[in-house]
Amino acid sequence: MKGEPLLAVQGLSKHFPVTRGVLGRQAGSVRAVDGISFELWPGEALGLVGESGCGKTTAGRSLLRLIEPSAGSIRFAGRDLMELSQRELRAVRREMQIIFQDPFSSLNPRMRVRDIVGEALVAHGLVKRRDLDARVAELLEKVGVTSSFASRYPHEFSGGQRQRIGIARAIALNPKFIVCDEAVSALDVSIRAQVINLLMGLRDELGLAYLFISHDLSVVKHICNRVAVMYLGQIVELTDSDELFEKPAHPYTRALLSAIPLPDPKLRQKRKVLSGDVPTPLNPPSGCRFHTRCPAVFERCPKDEPGLVKLGGQHQVSCHHADGLENAADWFAELDRRIREREQLNERERTRLEVPGSSAPVVAASVPEPPEALAPASTAGAVAPLGDAPLVSAALANALVFAGIGLVLTGFWFSGLCLSAGVYWLWVRGQRARPLAMDLALAAALSVALVLGHALGDHAKLARARVELAELAGHVDAFRENTGSDPESLTALGWRLFEAKPDGTLTDPWGRAYALRRSAPGKPGSVTSQGPDPNSPADDLSAPLSAGALER
Amino acid sequence: MTRELLLSVRDLKVQFRTDRALVRAVDGVSYDVRAGETLAVVGESGSGKSVTAMSILRLIESQGGSIAGGSILFRGKDLLALSEAEMRHVRGNDIAMIFQEPMTSLNPVYTIGNQISETLRLHRGMSDFEARQEAIRLLELVNMPDPEQRVDGYPHQLSGGMRQRVMIAMALSCQPKLLIADEPTTALDVTVQAQILELMQELQERLGMAILLITHDLGVVATNADEVAVMYAGRIVERASVVELFEAPKHPYTAGLLASLPQLDKRTELIPIAGNVPDASRLPSGCPFHPRCAFRLELCSEVDPPLEPVPGGAARTSACHYVKRHPDAALLPLLAEKRAGKEPA
Repeated sequence: MKGEPLLAVQGLSKHFPVTRGVLGRQAGSVRAVDGISFELWPGEALGLVGESGCGKTTAGRSLLRLIEPSAGSIRFAGRDLMELSQRELRAVRREMQIIFQDPFSSLNPRMRVRDIVGEALVAHGLVKRRDLDARVAELLEKVGVTSSFASRYPHEFSGGQRQRIGIARAIALNPKFIVCDEAVSALDVSIRAQVINLLMGLRDELGLAYLFISHDLSVVKHICNRVAVMYLGQIVELTDSDELFEKPAHPYTRALLSAIPLPDPKLRQKRKVLSGDVPTPLNPPSGCRFHTRCPAVFERCPKDEPGLVKLGGQHQVSCHHADGLENAADWFAELDRRIREREQLNERERTRLEVPGSSAPVVAASVPEPPEALAPASTAGAVAPLGDAPLVSAALANALVFAGIGLVLTGFWFSGLCLSAGVYWLWVRGQRARPLAMDLALAAALSVALVLGHALGDHAKLARARVELAELAGHVDAFRENTGSDPESLTALGWRLFEAKPDGTLTDPWGRAYALRRSAPGKPGSVTSQGPDPNSPADDLSAPLSAGALER
Repeated sequence: MTRELLLSVRDLKVQFRTDRALVRAVDGVSYDVRAGETLAVVGESGSGKSVTAMSILRLIESQGGSIAGGSILFRGKDLLALSEAEMRHVRGNDIAMIFQEPMTSLNPVYTIGNQISETLRLHRGMSDFEARQEAIRLLELVNMPDPEQRVDGYPHQLSGGMRQRVMIAMALSCQPKLLIADEPTTALDVTVQAQILELMQELQERLGMAILLITHDLGVVATNADEVAVMYAGRIVERASVVELFEAPKHPYTAGLLASLPQLDKRTELIPIAGNVPDASRLPSGCPFHPRCAFRLELCSEVDPPLEPVPGGAARTSACHYVKRHPDAALLPLLAEKRAGKEPA
């Protein structure tokens, strides 16, 4: 092309290390940008397009060394940026500026517009303080913001106006080169057109070169002379913008173009929809990085990494389908034929593989069948196919139910019952497709456990009451021995060892008060409980007090 | 084409009360959605398109808005008259909604199977086991790869496109008659957007549901919509079928939007709409678009034009004084002429 390029990038890479553990051992690296090369001439706009995560933003920032690149060389206006010190870099940065995507977060909310736009002018000592206002006003008028707004704060402006202020800041130092990082993506349609027109006007007026990073192909096509398409950190196609849209050579570019919804309902077509998502750059696919999603993939793609070849002189593409076409005059027809042929072949292969397997899951799913479990439960044979995970959960549920039964048997009948019933209910709710017989068996087992537990529970209470009575009797004896008289009531003993009602009376395992029964004078008496049934004297319990204690 | 009238919004007014003023976010919007068709509501940010959609499900109260007038008839039943309990039944069962941000609309602490089956258990009374099976079937329906594995995954393990598929699966779980899709593809990459758009079309054909598609992207409208309503400053300024709208817009705002779109097939100069979208609390007098309009008449700053039928289609309406006077004017070429005429000056 014409003369010296303004910017020549060779093998630019940025690998972010991924560390694991406390020691920060490097476990791998995210190859965000992996060896990209391109050139940019003065006054030219180069588009960098790709899906999110393809490394286009990282590429733009490492160009300016806002992110330190891992490898590669960047020659800007004859100097190698990679060899400059921070100090020298600052001087060169005057020539290179960046416009960010988000007009809301890229302007300092605590600075006035005048200071935002004029900061760099002052920092580089380009303008005397007294000329600053005039220069800022000139810049603001140039981007279409009324200069009387210079003393306002960013929040007083709409998104489009803020983006204009960002542009004014970028052109303040008369740069030669501006990186526009998704500069119009966040704007509304009508405002976006204003800003696009502004950027194009400034390019013609000031002779700016743009690296226009965007995911929006129609915007890129409108603004840029040349376009580079990125996929997973690499440039897969680079050519003139018109040619890219007329003769897309890389299958990825073709898919991107076909995915754009065109604002014309008459052009509705069967889109070539790319399946899947962009793979992670942490572990990019082998060979050609696009092979996992490529509709025209063939045997070579996962094995060899294709290099960039030049088709027809200018059109760079990295795809195995382009092999041997470097010098072909009518390369596009041949390439197009190759890709289409392979696509059809792959498509046939895919349908052939799919048909025998009784798949077509989509069709089946669209007609909601009556859910199995709502069918009569008497179909006892219909056991749901259980995989490994359900088997484990079933075993666990059974174990817990039996553990509950065990608790019931050992006297903790209430907690045991809760556990069994709870687990059983939870598990049953999730397994409605189980046969009825199993339910009935489990329910029967539970009821038996319940009855048994109740009976055994009473047994345990009786035993406890006997122990407590004996102990209480001992305490009363001790009281008599020490004081020589009967305690007024059991409460007067002051023992807190037994369960007590709120009024302080000591209670037996059935919640009723223990009583001190005095007999005729001279007789020792007893401590008693009414037993499980207060109305039947037959089950009353008592512990006799010792006669000796009273006599002494 | 006599399809069942599903949703009929009449003269809907929604207000937000702020410290300074009463903001009329939606001011007298009416539209119909018929079974099996897609109505696209297009507009820029702040035009009230999302607010209208939120009002249909009566979710707008929780956002601080209030419905100040109008009616929303769903199969003849006025949704505004329902109790909250009845409304809960409508949400999900009859009308489902998917949102722009698939990242924030899913609960990060539950598995996606859990979140899909919650709806199934609540609205369709399924047991856990059935709900899980149905969740897998729904994930298959939205073309999720390996649904059996994904059903136990968490939202953070999925990409944006897959999360949107989960959202669609959730929305479809009760076989809604109407799906409200609020900017369903805005946060997604082009290739993924194409997948989702195609999926929505496919599902509509198969399940016969109606879609209310809310978007700012005219490309999405052109690919997926049957009918279009263009909104500006809280009101509908034009209604047309999608082919009519793109062929010959009958409102200066629509024409302006179309002229400011970069085209892929031809490089024409972009004709932006001058000025900014007005603040909803300080709308201009008369027609709210008149300060930005290239076809402005004197009348425009005084009288707000009503939505009136215009020639060129069965149900075409437009709210514009200029179009009413010159019903056959081709606005797009005129816009280019005006631009060319203004340039040298």
